[in-house]
This record gives sequence, C-alpha cells and structure tokens, in this order.
Amino acid sequence: MIEWLYLVVQAAALAMGAWFFIETARSQRVGRRHFVGVGVLEALLLAQLAVSIAIVPGEAGGGKALFFSYLVTTLLVPVAGCFWGSIDRSRWGIGTVAASGLIVAALMLRIHQIWEFQIHV
Amino acid sequence: MSEPRRLADGFGRLIVLVYVVFAVSAGARALFQVATKFGEAPVSFTLSAIAAAIYLVAAVAIIKGAARLALLAVGVELVGVVAVGALSVAVPDLFPEPSVWSHFGSGYGYVPLVLPVAGLVYLLKRRAAA
Repeated sequence: MIEWLYLVVQAAALAMGAWFFIETARSQRVGRRHFVGVGVLEALLLAQLAVSIAIVPGEAGGGKALFFSYLVTTLLVPVAGCFWGSIDRSRWGIGTVAASGLIVAALMLRIHQIWEFQIHV
Repeated sequence: MSEPRRLADGFGRLIVLVYVVFAVSAGARALFQVATKFGEAPVSFTLSAIAAAIYLVAAVAIIKGAARLALLAVGVELVGVVAVGALSVAVPDLFPEPSVWSHFGSGYGYVPLVLPVAGLVYLLKRRAAA
C-alpha cells in the first residue's frame, strides 16, 4: 500500500460519512450531489485496488487472498449502501449511505493492518 | 406517502446495512477459520459462526418485516455478546483466538455490543408505535 494514498482514502471515507450525517440531521433526501461524493470515494478505492494489484503480489508475506477479499468487499460497501439507502424516503436514506462511509474506513483500517503485519514484512 | 411504513424503513435501513455487513464479514471469517484451523480455538470459531448466523437472521427478519423474529434475534444477540464477553474475561483459556463477541466485541470497535442495543431500542419503539 502507498501510505499517502491509504490516508487519502481514509480521509475521503470519513469526510463522506461526516458530510452525509450532517445531511441526515438536515433531513436531506439522497440526491445527485451525494452520488458524486460516493463516486469520488469509489474512484479512490479503485485506485487503491489498481495500486494493490501492482505491488501486493511482489511482496514477501502471506495473507494476500485475505487482503484482496477485504478490498473487494470494501469496494462494494458504498455501492450497496447507495442502492439500499437511496430508496428510503426518510432522513435515514442518506444516513445509511453515511454509515457505509464509516464501514469503509473500518475495513480500510483492517486492510492496512493486514498489509503491515502480514504482507509487507 | 400512503404506503405503510415498513420495519426496514427509516433508521431500520441503517441497522439492516450494518447487520448485513457483519453477517458477511463475520460469516466469511468464521467459515474460513472453521475450515482451516478449527482445532486451534473451537469455542471461539463456533461462537463466531453462531453470531454471524444471528446477524443474518436479524437482517432478513427486519427486511421481511417479521417484527417478533427480529426482536428474538436481536435479544439473543444482546444476551450472547454480554455472556460471551463476560466469559472471555473470566475464562480467557477458552478463547485462544478471539470470537466476534469476545471482550464485548472489542476487536470490532464494540459495534457488536452497540448494535443489539440500538436494534432493541428501534424495534421496541416501532412496536410501541404500532
């Protein structure tokens, strides 16, 4: 993992979560600007995946299958959160998408741990 | 807005997302552990698998609007995380590797402890409103 890219992904996931929870408090429906926000996070996660495909197989340690299964799961979480949240007509529609941002941050933390302790040894 | 409000509407939607994520992640991890190294920590891995199954039941029950089953699953989950959490502190030898519910879910940021409480509050509020 490239450290700065990892930190950018974390910042984006947490920022998206915070922004969407503010939207939850303001009772906003899921709208176009939110999809743009999720799109930015997804683009960063795809960049993370591309970089990982380039550098992880060359590393010495094990746990690579675990690493990629976590990363692919992480890619799917905001998409699932978006589909599931956007069909809700209450404030918790965007609240659900906000939660997906926090879930991404937690999963990325775990992926980074796998990288540090199992792969990049 | 003439449709009746379902259990998976509103805050229930956020709860379902978290339950599904936990069912998938705890379930995949437990299946992997049971398949590859069950003998190392049989109690932990069995409990993790049970926890994953309960998360799945709770998610499906809320999606389907089965309020009583959802309440039962979330209740069992709360008892489970408190009991296993206490047991893991009292008899750590039983848990050479952590389960989802060990130390009240500390390995998962205590979400396993917060989740059933939030779920119970939500389900009981919805039941009182019905």
